[in-house]
Amino acid sequence: MDASAKTAYLTKEELAPAKPKLLSHPSAKTGLMGWLTTVDHKKIGFLYGFFALIFFLVGGFEALLIRTQLMVPNNDVLTAQQYNTLFTMHGTTMIFLAVMPLSSAFFNFIMPLQIGARDVAFPRLNAFSLWTFVAGAIILNIGWFLPTATHGAPDGGWFGYAPLTSKQFIPKHSIDYWVMGIQLLGVASIAASLNFIVTIINLRAPGMTMMRLPVFVWMTLITSFLIILSFPAITIALVELMMDRNFQTSFFEVSGGGMPILWQHLFWVFGHPEVYILILPAMGIISEILPTFARKPLFGYPIVVFSGACIGFLGFAVWSHHMFTTGLGTVATAAFSLATMAIAVPTGVKIFNWIGTLWGGHIVMRTPMLFALGFVWMFMMGGMSGIMHAAAPADSQQQDSYFVIAHFHYVLIGGSIFALLAGLHYWFPLMFGRKVSEFWGKLSFWVIFVGFNVTFFPMHFLGLNGMPRRTFTYDPNLGWNTANFIATMGSYVLGVGMFIYFAVLTYTFFKGERVKKDYWDGRTLEWSIDNPPPEYNFRVIPTVHARDGWWYEKHHRAEIEKEKSAHAQAEEEHGGIHMPFGSIWPFVTSVGLLVGAVGITYFDSDWSPGIHAKLGVSLVGGGIMFIGIYFWSLEGNEGYHLHLDQDGRPIADEPHAKH
Amino acid sequence: MPNFFPNLARGGRALAALAGLLLLSGCDVNFWRMDGHQSTIVVAGPVAREQLHVFYVTVWVTLFIFVVVGAVLAYATFKFRARNEVDEHAEPPPQGHGNPFIELGLIGASVLALVIIAVPTLSAIWSTHDVPEAERKNAYEITATGYQWWFRFEYPAELAALDAAGAKAPLVTGNELVIPAGRPVRIHLRTVDVIHSFWVPKLAGKVDMIPNRANFLWLQADQPGYFWGQCAEYCGDSHAVMRFRVIALAEKEFSAWLEQQESTARTVTAPVADAAAPRPQVAALRSFRQNESGVSAKFDLDPLAGWQAKQLPEANENAALIGQGRQLFAAKTCSACHTVRGHGAMGVQGPDLTHVGARSTIAAGLIENNAEQLRRWIRDPESVKPGNKMAKAYRENKISVSDEEQVAIVAYLESLK
Amino acid sequence: MSSHAATATIDHHHDPTTATGIPNKKLLMWAFLASDCMFFGTLISTHLIYRLHPPAGGLDPKVIFSPELTSFSTFILLMSSLMMALAVTAIQKGNVKSCRWSLLTTIFFGLIFLGCQVYEFNHFVHEKHMTISNSLLGTTFYTLTGTHGCHVAIGVLWLTLMYVRSFKPAAGSTQRTWFSHQLLHAVALLGGLLLVLKVTLGLVHALQIEPAFGAALGHFLKAEFLALAGVLVALGACVWFSRPRGPVDFNVTHAIDVESMGLYWHFVDIVWIVIFTVVYLLEYL
Repeated sequence: MDASAKTAYLTKEELAPAKPKLLSHPSAKTGLMGWLTTVDHKKIGFLYGFFALIFFLVGGFEALLIRTQLMVPNNDVLTAQQYNTLFTMHGTTMIFLAVMPLSSAFFNFIMPLQIGARDVAFPRLNAFSLWTFVAGAIILNIGWFLPTATHGAPDGGWFGYAPLTSKQFIPKHSIDYWVMGIQLLGVASIAASLNFIVTIINLRAPGMTMMRLPVFVWMTLITSFLIILSFPAITIALVELMMDRNFQTSFFEVSGGGMPILWQHLFWVFGHPEVYILILPAMGIISEILPTFARKPLFGYPIVVFSGACIGFLGFAVWSHHMFTTGLGTVATAAFSLATMAIAVPTGVKIFNWIGTLWGGHIVMRTPMLFALGFVWMFMMGGMSGIMHAAAPADSQQQDSYFVIAHFHYVLIGGSIFALLAGLHYWFPLMFGRKVSEFWGKLSFWVIFVGFNVTFFPMHFLGLNGMPRRTFTYDPNLGWNTANFIATMGSYVLGVGMFIYFAVLTYTFFKGERVKKDYWDGRTLEWSIDNPPPEYNFRVIPTVHARDGWWYEKHHRAEIEKEKSAHAQAEEEHGGIHMPFGSIWPFVTSVGLLVGAVGITYFDSDWSPGIHAKLGVSLVGGGIMFIGIYFWSLEGNEGYHLHLDQDGRPIADEPHAKH
Repeated sequence: MPNFFPNLARGGRALAALAGLLLLSGCDVNFWRMDGHQSTIVVAGPVAREQLHVFYVTVWVTLFIFVVVGAVLAYATFKFRARNEVDEHAEPPPQGHGNPFIELGLIGASVLALVIIAVPTLSAIWSTHDVPEAERKNAYEITATGYQWWFRFEYPAELAALDAAGAKAPLVTGNELVIPAGRPVRIHLRTVDVIHSFWVPKLAGKVDMIPNRANFLWLQADQPGYFWGQCAEYCGDSHAVMRFRVIALAEKEFSAWLEQQESTARTVTAPVADAAAPRPQVAALRSFRQNESGVSAKFDLDPLAGWQAKQLPEANENAALIGQGRQLFAAKTCSACHTVRGHGAMGVQGPDLTHVGARSTIAAGLIENNAEQLRRWIRDPESVKPGNKMAKAYRENKISVSDEEQVAIVAYLESLK
Repeated sequence: MSSHAATATIDHHHDPTTATGIPNKKLLMWAFLASDCMFFGTLISTHLIYRLHPPAGGLDPKVIFSPELTSFSTFILLMSSLMMALAVTAIQKGNVKSCRWSLLTTIFFGLIFLGCQVYEFNHFVHEKHMTISNSLLGTTFYTLTGTHGCHVAIGVLWLTLMYVRSFKPAAGSTQRTWFSHQLLHAVALLGGLLLVLKVTLGLVHALQIEPAFGAALGHFLKAEFLALAGVLVALGACVWFSRPRGPVDFNVTHAIDVESMGLYWHFVDIVWIVIFTVVYLLEYL
């Protein structure tokens, strides 16, 4: 990915003398070790994106199987078990392994560039988040490769309602993988979010005040806060479930006095903010793309930011609207109904502001813009059906029906995925210095757009016609045949569209046309650097004078040049560009977590069989993790200095102990 | 482009033909009319009607907003787009940052729109929650209990005879809920295992059956009728085929039905002496595809009439066969899980079968109650409803039922009117 | 990521290299604690919900809890917070020696708290017959206090590593063995302190079963002979490892590390105050 990084800058002899071998800093920049030890936010972002796209394709394949089963009534392509496993894994994969890490890829790659930073605040913690995410993904999917009778992939639904997930009803290990996988993903998400929070608050370039932050950065910040405050609820719920399954407690065990409804509360206290965790980054991306292609600033920036914060805040007060049919009582139902309606206001405000951004602009209709406009339309439709759910009495008919399926696919595909696909096209020239062909990009957009609507629009009718979700079969006499058939055909079109999209993206990655920097005539700082971005991001840390920092620079060149050369000289006098060393220990720590988690997964309500092996594996995992953390803390957050020549290539470096 | 338009027209015709073919291929051509058996749009009771009313309010309000906002968005997109290459590289437009008054105005407008939705929502939350005060005394109470994967219905006010000696207990039925029409029914929702959800779309929205939680809902059928219901919360392997029916009867017919149900099981003849006696050779039942539909087209024409017909004894009953079936019912340990009041079967794991012959469906509303489908179920329950307890009992106790035995048990069960 | 930080005087409340002046590590710790609040919030809510809706025939906490012991351990934890605060102040003034002593005391108090918890769990399980699986009270109580105990244990481990780290030789030193020394030092310290706890418990046990002091002492010496020897060995090792060996790489610039650790420790302490109030004291209202 990074062509300029072929040289190893350091040799071991240059390191401090008293350093034992184990603590020597890895110097590989390429090859497997280069990737495993990288702490570069761009490489980590790339890896997040890489894994996310793989899982996106897996989740999409699962979806196509689901649609194939439902193509005609009484179909028998899949067994009930396979179908239930597929919809569970489709939901879990798409949410935790596709959309979230893809957002995270953008957070990692773009956010530091947008605030004018050379990396995130804690580069090694960032690597740890990545590898722990991979560990969680492995555990979640491990069941596919093990016998279905005793293991199998998770099949309790993506919100795993107790007590269906208890040992009594699903004795297989499938649920244990789900529990442990999501716990690890939670650790990864929280660690990453803490890092982003500190980065955004503390590593802003001079002049980059909070109210000058690009909206994408704002949404990253709000999303990160949502993650650190909501993931604990699911983590604890999962711990409680794990204790129930593996250590005979009775948190959700009815026989012991437990109340399964508690699971739903804990789950949705996380689950609803999670919805915004999925959509806010998308809104951020759209708020970057629309101004760039309308060639004018975002309309009402403070209101867009404030409404985002408002959504994040209200997101914690509406969880029970997922539970309108659980007999909450009238007062609670009314309160959550009104709170849910209230959240529509800040969401609507964003749509108004996006239209305001277009108004009076000079809209350049390129592929990212098409996806962005598609997002606005589809998100509006998803929002409208969302308001219908907010009306609790109407929701009691729609809850758990295909109407809900239609709604959340409109906000998650039409919303999140469209925005992420737009973001990929938009930032592709920056990330890899190549651009995707406009023809193929636009073609893929239209095929995806049509396929998506043909798939999910009929589902509104299906839901209103009484088709419940999560059903592997239906009878032909209920009036659902045509809509289901159309939806399945649409899903194939959608699949073809996605295939075109990713085929073209892959082709472009290797063979695409090279482009110069600032390909789209961008407005924010990430466009001020060469593509692909050099390891050190900014030759000189920029000084920000206006909200759209780069746009200002482009229009005040003389003043900026002078300022930059002064800053460059000052930095050179202070020793040059400081870069962090790579490290293998975050990876080791994550491997330890993976091994330990696998061990704990196999603890059974009956402890005796193989207890030594299980305990042994857990302890070995714990040991590896401890070693990882220990060396991680001992090696210290040292770095080295880079000095650049005229063309921005490193000419010399020196080891340097950071104080 | 002179050739373009004829081509377009030809393409359009082909597309229309294709669409027509597509729509004709299904038996429900107008799926957007949403008038199926589980429709929430064509409803049959006050609760569902109230919920539908709220839904329509939300639809009209959001549709209005969508049309207005969409029109502005479409207009802005077309009006301000760059029309050609040169236009794309023209000087950027004025760099305006927004207008707070427009923003505040729009926020105010959205709040107003939400108030329009909120008012009927709040009123409906209270009115659909419980039976209206005035009619509360008149409400008929029933307890519905979810099992993996069927429903048990108990009528606490009605006492049914347990045996000839006169012992009594509340009436229990399974999978077909019979209610009085035109009268509010209050249903207490319970579950013995996981979470289920009770949903009869034409009568009322769903309410979940949650362990360790006392939920209820109320519904009312305007007219006598036959309604489809389904579990709406994922509850394990066979969630999709956990269905049930609601039959609303006029007050008089309802009383008659209760009276029939309260009696012990119908006995056709004295049991024959020897269950092992040779039976006539019976052809094996045809094989069924997995998930094959068990409902005939005829069934849908007038389901209520079909249900009423099931209340009467079959035309040509074979008393000897029925007697054999009754013995087999005990011999194959069916009675360990099923109750047949008066015939010595007192199991409670599975549905009460005292009057199973009078039901229009079996296997939790999944397949039609006729000789062929009942035999399909008894032969191999796993293939009909994956993971169910009856199939598990077959496996664990090594129960197999031969073709002859199947026919006898079917004859016995069909005789239980 | 600027390169100049070491200036003549360090302002511990302002870091010139960050946009806000708040050191990155401090901000990270605050954000993590916000998240941790939610972890404990969820656990405490679970406990309270089940206290408000106890199952029929559930255990009565008043019969099980012994508030005297818990009050004592709470006091000990509070004292450890005081020592932690002293350690932070010491290192901010560059007083490494005083910082080390305060860290040691904090570790010691933390271990006493953990010892009390182990004793309490043991007592509840064997004397009061409340296990994690036989009652809902046990389920929520052990999970909540156990999670807190894990936090304390992680804190103790962190403190130990920090204490040991304070002996890391300064850059340019020729000691190549400091790394293995550190590992052994940590093991000796933790092992020694754990043995001290074991010995203390042994003494209490001996006094309980033998009425006469002399007999008790004899019984104690016999039972705990190996442990006592272990304490002496570990103590010796600790003293040997902590002998002065030239300049160390631990000074005012590391105040932020100690301070972030202190934030964590205080937080765990505050959480315990909440747990003590909600789980124990509320039962006696």
